[in-house]
Amino acid sequence: MITIDKLNLHYDRTAGYNTGKKTGKNKASTQVIFDLSLTISEGEKVAIIGPSGAGKSSLLHHLYQTLQNRAALCSQRQGLVDNLSIYHNIFMGALARHHWLFNLVNLIRPFKQDLNNITALCQQLELDQPLTKKVDKLSGGQRQRVALARALYQQQDIFIGDEPFSALDPLMTSRLLESVLAQHNSVIMVMHDRELAMSAFDRVIALDKGRLVFDSKQQHVDQQQITKLFQTSAVA
Amino acid sequence: MPQLQQVKNTHYPLGYWQKVTVLIWLIALLIIPFADIEIVNFDPLLELTLMAQGLMAPDFFATEYLFQAVIQTINFAIIGVCLGLVLGAPLALIYQHPIVSSCCAFFRAIHEIFWALLFLQIFGLSPMTGILAITIPFAATFARVFHDIINQSSDSPLESIDSRADIISRFTYGKIAQVLPQLMAYTRYRFECALRSSAVLGFIGMPTLGFYMETAFRQGNYNEGAALLIIFVTLIGTISYWCPPKLMMVYFIIACLTLVDIPAVDSSLLVRFISQDILPPALVNVGTFAEVQWASLTTWFTDLLVEQAIPGGIATITLALLALAATHVVTLNAHALASRQLWPTPLTWLGQLILLIGRSVPEYILAFIFLMLLGPSMLPAVIALAIHNGCVIAYLAVKQSNAIAPQQMQMSKFNQFNYHIMPNIYPNMMALLFYRFEIIVRETAVFGILGIMTLGFYIDSNFSEIRYSNALVLITCTALLNVAIDILSRRLLKFPKSSQTRC
Amino acid sequence: MKALTKLIALCALTLSLFVSNNANATTFTFTAIPDEDESQLRTRFEKVALYLEKELGVEVKYIPVKSYSAAVTAFRNNQVQLAWFGGLSGVQARKLVPGSKAIAQGYEDQFFKSYFIAHYSTGLAMSDSFPDISQKTFTFGSKGSTSGRLMPQYYIEQHLEKKPQQAFKRVGFSGDHSRTIAQVQAGAYQVGAVNYKVWESALAAGKIDTNKVKVIWETPAYPDYQWTIRSGVNAQFGEGFADKVQAVLLNMNNPELLKSFPRSSFVNADNKDFEPVLTVAKKIGLID
Repeated sequence: MITIDKLNLHYDRTAGYNTGKKTGKNKASTQVIFDLSLTISEGEKVAIIGPSGAGKSSLLHHLYQTLQNRAALCSQRQGLVDNLSIYHNIFMGALARHHWLFNLVNLIRPFKQDLNNITALCQQLELDQPLTKKVDKLSGGQRQRVALARALYQQQDIFIGDEPFSALDPLMTSRLLESVLAQHNSVIMVMHDRELAMSAFDRVIALDKGRLVFDSKQQHVDQQQITKLFQTSAVA
Repeated sequence: MPQLQQVKNTHYPLGYWQKVTVLIWLIALLIIPFADIEIVNFDPLLELTLMAQGLMAPDFFATEYLFQAVIQTINFAIIGVCLGLVLGAPLALIYQHPIVSSCCAFFRAIHEIFWALLFLQIFGLSPMTGILAITIPFAATFARVFHDIINQSSDSPLESIDSRADIISRFTYGKIAQVLPQLMAYTRYRFECALRSSAVLGFIGMPTLGFYMETAFRQGNYNEGAALLIIFVTLIGTISYWCPPKLMMVYFIIACLTLVDIPAVDSSLLVRFISQDILPPALVNVGTFAEVQWASLTTWFTDLLVEQAIPGGIATITLALLALAATHVVTLNAHALASRQLWPTPLTWLGQLILLIGRSVPEYILAFIFLMLLGPSMLPAVIALAIHNGCVIAYLAVKQSNAIAPQQMQMSKFNQFNYHIMPNIYPNMMALLFYRFEIIVRETAVFGILGIMTLGFYIDSNFSEIRYSNALVLITCTALLNVAIDILSRRLLKFPKSSQTRC
Repeated sequence: MKALTKLIALCALTLSLFVSNNANATTFTFTAIPDEDESQLRTRFEKVALYLEKELGVEVKYIPVKSYSAAVTAFRNNQVQLAWFGGLSGVQARKLVPGSKAIAQGYEDQFFKSYFIAHYSTGLAMSDSFPDISQKTFTFGSKGSTSGRLMPQYYIEQHLEKKPQQAFKRVGFSGDHSRTIAQVQAGAYQVGAVNYKVWESALAAGKIDTNKVKVIWETPAYPDYQWTIRSGVNAQFGEGFADKVQAVLLNMNNPELLKSFPRSSFVNADNKDFEPVLTVAKKIGLID
């Protein structure tokens, strides 16, 4: 599905996003990914773990940019539009499926079909708020689920998520993770919860300081190794 | 007991906004000796008594067709704003293009009155003249401000939208939806401005409230004038009650239906205007390029520049800079007057009423009143500009300062105001002041019609002498002057980017 | 869906209004700005329109305008076919629309004059010779006025041999005769030029304190206000229409109608009568 070879990424502090420049002499940018090679094949469920600042999000966004036409992204920044209702925020996932005229009319008057679909989706995500509610009135966990619902509503093959459950309780997290994994052929997800990553995903890769530390596909990984990784990083 | 170290001559540098404030005042003080601001009135008491009597006993029945005038004032404003939106909103999307933004700056810089005087030659006394005179500068303003608002919105929603979605869907859902409340609020504010512009167009013959207001004041019928002012201020003060944004479309349709008849547009007038009227005298009736008398063309142009454009330009700048400093004073005082942080709420209503009157009464009328009291110098215009613009800025600043939560600290309201509220809103207040500077420069034009020798005076003279080519050159000079001032002040000052700096 | 249909219908209706609501080509339109009292213009002049309509047998409409230049523009653009012009604006209008004719003038307009008025502090008194007003502050009336600007400026340039801007300490345009009186009376300007009729009626109405402001000089007589009819009205309204209008105006003897102008009666006029105004306007550079 995707193969990256010796990837170097820079984070542009002024612009606030990744630049794929190989020669990063710009003072405003710092290198975040060093010589990273990785292959992910169709149908894999991959979790990315690592201490904060390891370059997980940068790598994820790079993967998303490469896979853009087939993947749905649920980013940490959520990208919710505060002035729109839950319904419209979720509907944004389906924009590409409709003509712009349809989308404009829907902004004023929601269509029945999408309304039903999104109601069902919300039930599945245990989001029991009225669909007309503006998202700025929601709690952190509810907002996160709206963002998740939008990514699900894109109905793509590949799901790319950046800690999409960080504000939810563990039980709900595992329930929702299960349905995300079930609904997508391939999943690439940055996970906060190491144990859940180990138990629920086929493959776990770990990053530290912009480098690939290990990959469960190539070597056997146990809990101790991971704990060590996080500890050394915390000391450093 | 540890001895505090004695520090001699501690250097405490001025902050950025302090420096800017000092600069405004230094400039004003420097030009005062050269400006014509003497008070030359021996005996203003008689006129003052008459005005006071008029205000005490406003005569609401003195004006003929009053209801029609009110309706037309609203119609011009609504249609002007709606057409301005239709033209300006798409322009906002391509505003980053230098040609678009400079064209907009140029169109914005020309006062509604001058647009109307130009269109008067083509459409005559038709509603088209008034509507277009509002539409064009408003469209240019919408383009700029909407562009700014959209630019300040976050990009993150776009990130999570499928990149295969078409641009229109992505833009409406990802960008417009985010800033829609700000766009609506700004449109509402511009509607208030349009009402004022619509009334001002009456001064040159449009059938709005200004038509009767100008006559009443000019002829000394203060009872009638006071009544018209009261109606106008009430109209502006109650916009939110009679024109909620949702009904805007309904009002637009009603406005189109109740508009006075539009006479047929005679295209030959347009042709004549372009091919004869606005050509310099040396170029009229010239068949070929070879026949052009270059010498007479050059003399015409240099004479115009030396005798009218340059003295007019200097007077315009002088007036604008003095008005800027005076506006600063009025803003600070008017804001303090109506701030909820300083007074109990019932008292702020009084302050709000003063702000409403200050910002609603057209500058022309204010200047007229002060002209009768202080005599014919630049002073009445400075005061009129300061009151009007000061009240507009204070009105916006009060909205902002009322929203600030007071510090949880034991201190008097006065200290709270000076140490917490003012530092909080001062940068924004100054940004608004400079934003208004552009408007002050355009508004100096109106006083030309009252006889204060700004560029507007010469433009008005040329229109009354039916020398449209001269008028057009001077209007272009005014616009270029405005654009230059705008660019200069942007270069010199850095504004807080995220704050609400629009008015 | 029904609402949408209604909306479209309304829009179409609006558009059709824009298109079809053109001024009736057979309406005879006129404008007038009286030299004093501009209040209730429409109410007063619609009576004149009614009179003309009855006498001429065509639909007559009155359009109020704000200034002489606006009146000239409307005349030039054929928005009005008949106008009550000041001396200067009439000359300008007839120059812009060749073939237009002055057809009647007020009885008083054959020998009109302007007064120079001064504040008491100047110490100036009424005299037959041109007063010593150089380096005073001076206000004209409106920029396009004959009695408030053109003629006074001509005599100033004749006697002081300088442009007003150089001859006076400060020059203003009050915009209106009654403003000129008020400003000189208040001392805002030391000297001013004013239409004699406006002065006389303000004096009669008790609006002037003669201790504060008085007349110091009067100009020689000159022709002023007149009715001018546009060329081409005969083609539009029938042969002999201009003559018919002239006769109707000359026969207007209802005091109530005449009071609107205000004139005691209308007498015959001709383009030639206004030659002096044109000469003066050319001399001081108001007309090329």
